Amino acid sequence: MTKPVLRALASALLAVLLLAALPGCGSGSASNDGRTTVVFWHSLVNSTIPALDELLARFEEEHPDIRIQAQYIPSGDALVQKLITSVRSNTAPDISWIHADYLEELVRADAIFPMEHFIGGEDGLADSVIADIYPSLLQYSSWRGQLYSLPMEATNLGLLYNKDLFREAGLDPEQPPRTWDELLSYSERLTIDRNGDGRNEQIGFITPIYPASSPNGPWMVWQWIPFLWQGGGYLVNEEQTRVLFAEEPGVRALTLWKELYDRQNQGTFSNEFMTAFISKQTAMMLDGPWSIPNYPRLLGNMDWGIAPLPAGPERRATISGGEYLAIFKQSQNPDAAWTFVKWMMDPEIQAFWSMKSGYLPVRASVLDVPEYQDYLDENPALRAFVEQMADAGTQRPLDYEQLAIQRAIARAIERATVGGEDPRAVLEAAAAESNRLLDAADRGEDAPEPLAER
Amino acid sequence: MTEAVVQQEQAEPAQAAVRRAAAEDPPRAPLPEASGPSRRRRDGLLAFGFLSPTLLVFSVFILFPILFSLYLSFSQWNMFGGESTFVGLDNYARMFGDAEFWSVLAHTGVYTLGTVPVNMALALGAAFYLNTRVIGKRFLRAAFFTPVVISAVAAAVVWRWVFDPNLGLANYALEAIGFGAVNWSNSPAAAMVALIIVGVWKSFGINMVLFAAGLAGIPKHYYEAASIDGANGWQQFWHITVPLLAPTTLFVLVISIIGSFQVFDIVFVLTSGGPLGATKVLVFYLYEHAFKYFDMGYASAVAYVLFAILFALTLVQVRAFRGRGVRGI
Repeated sequence: MTKPVLRALASALLAVLLLAALPGCGSGSASNDGRTTVVFWHSLVNSTIPALDELLARFEEEHPDIRIQAQYIPSGDALVQKLITSVRSNTAPDISWIHADYLEELVRADAIFPMEHFIGGEDGLADSVIADIYPSLLQYSSWRGQLYSLPMEATNLGLLYNKDLFREAGLDPEQPPRTWDELLSYSERLTIDRNGDGRNEQIGFITPIYPASSPNGPWMVWQWIPFLWQGGGYLVNEEQTRVLFAEEPGVRALTLWKELYDRQNQGTFSNEFMTAFISKQTAMMLDGPWSIPNYPRLLGNMDWGIAPLPAGPERRATISGGEYLAIFKQSQNPDAAWTFVKWMMDPEIQAFWSMKSGYLPVRASVLDVPEYQDYLDENPALRAFVEQMADAGTQRPLDYEQLAIQRAIARAIERATVGGEDPRAVLEAAAAESNRLLDAADRGEDAPEPLAER
Repeated sequence: MTEAVVQQEQAEPAQAAVRRAAAEDPPRAPLPEASGPSRRRRDGLLAFGFLSPTLLVFSVFILFPILFSLYLSFSQWNMFGGESTFVGLDNYARMFGDAEFWSVLAHTGVYTLGTVPVNMALALGAAFYLNTRVIGKRFLRAAFFTPVVISAVAAAVVWRWVFDPNLGLANYALEAIGFGAVNWSNSPAAAMVALIIVGVWKSFGINMVLFAAGLAGIPKHYYEAASIDGANGWQQFWHITVPLLAPTTLFVLVISIIGSFQVFDIVFVLTSGGPLGATKVLVFYLYEHAFKYFDMGYASAVAYVLFAILFALTLVQVRAFRGRGVRGI
């Protein structure tokens, strides 16, 4: 080819590339074929996406003028980082899943609307609706007594157990452990060293220990906290000035975990808990309702059951989690976004979503929806979780320094189990660090009344 | 005589053609100066024009973050909202007073000491071996280089399963040969060993290629002359190969140390800094402070301390190698 031809070709290529890049520019919430687009960030895993598609299709049918553009963001670290960068660069979504972990930061950055803005508005929600939402969920949706998000779905923690292994060990498969003592004795009976080499091929209950610095550190703390409550303890006092997890109840809860870990010699296991359960290396583990859709594929022929968490010395308790929807102030269409959030609160929709996704409903009155009762009859595992929502009582989450205090607790748990240290000592070290952080925390103006504990 | 006449007759039409062409062509503009300062400036501007896209990308994505990070290291900023507040040397002071920082530095040092010598020895050995006449040379070279191009995260995930104490291949193999299982997940020492194994596996390929290039640059007749003089293999290696390989060795040493101080991805996936923080390395510590504690200023300070350490180490190495090597640096 001659030089002029080459030059012409190069310019043409450049022009084409530039033109191709143009559609990439432009704002997110631009109107699309007349409908208002609402960008919705979520972390629903692959197996739940078909359910999400059905949910959004139903919404768009009922609201033909709104289009929901759902985007998947991996949960945890990735979601926080994306939220940070998008808020800073003015490209925040309209709605996003958020976690209570960093609710404080989002509020301080003035990134999200207080829900009262919408609830008290024209297209708002009645008080009875808010009262119907499980109180523990509202506690995680709020910061310093004000609601900043609404729960889209709920989860809690239960005990997954292998009925076949129970039978082999001579235990009644319909009688899972109901107290801490039973949990300890059952786990010992289910711990077997088949070839006498000092390593257990099977253990009864696998305690969810992760390295404190891993992304799963907070997850481990989340699973330990119900045991703290079962012992009668709390994370923090009502005024949010001192942590309480190093008092007697906390020591008892961590001692329980330590005993389970030590007596079963769990140190020879890695933290692939689900794999261990599938491979019949452990008879019991903690799990939540989000896994239920996967059980048929993962567990195959195993006869498995779900039980409520064993009760502690003081009471029954489980921890509720869930996904919370917040509306961002940078949104171009906050009212359309609110339409979606409000729609999600409807009992019929909650029942629909729960049946499709395997998550738990956020409102008590969903239990009154007839199809939902039928569904629970067909899925006894889910019923166990749903009924546990009533045990997910006052949780009193941390308002300040939640991330840092979680890390301190995670380190304490790891040190007591993997590190073999004394639970009281490590908890007191973590409490000292946490109290220092609370003393230094910036509380701004006087904290309003915490949400009334019901 | 006739030939000369014939030539002249042939030449004349040619000369006439040239004269005609000169007369017919339009008068050209005077040629620009073939040399001089304005020509150089013109060339310079042209070069700058061609470089500008890259310079722009470099300035925005590399130069600016480096400078901004330096500024951040003297301030406190949590990135979510609000401005950064200037705190002077506070971050550095806090760092040097943090016990965790020193233990993290120690872990990084242990990792470096564990990987770099092994890495270089393996790489040199492989380069040497593949320099001789070996069947399947090209396949082996590709096989040794493959770990370098594999995604670190994907590889680390697989290695995590290999090192699983209960379900992994490593313990399976160890028990098969009667050695007994090792607690890779929960023993701090074993976790570091696992990390070193993966670290060496991941990067020795590229060092092998560099050493192979260095070896190829040593003229063969040196070896022939030496063997004529009666030198054995080991003497040849020590007195010919090592000195002439010195520039390559310096380069490999420098980049290996830099790489091992900066390790992050395999640590994050393989051990997540555990157990009990025993494999937490410097960049992991930096990541934690930046993206879990949202303390950007402190993390930037850590980044600059890492830079200072590597800079000092590199200076030391370059100085140490000044004497060696025939050609010098």
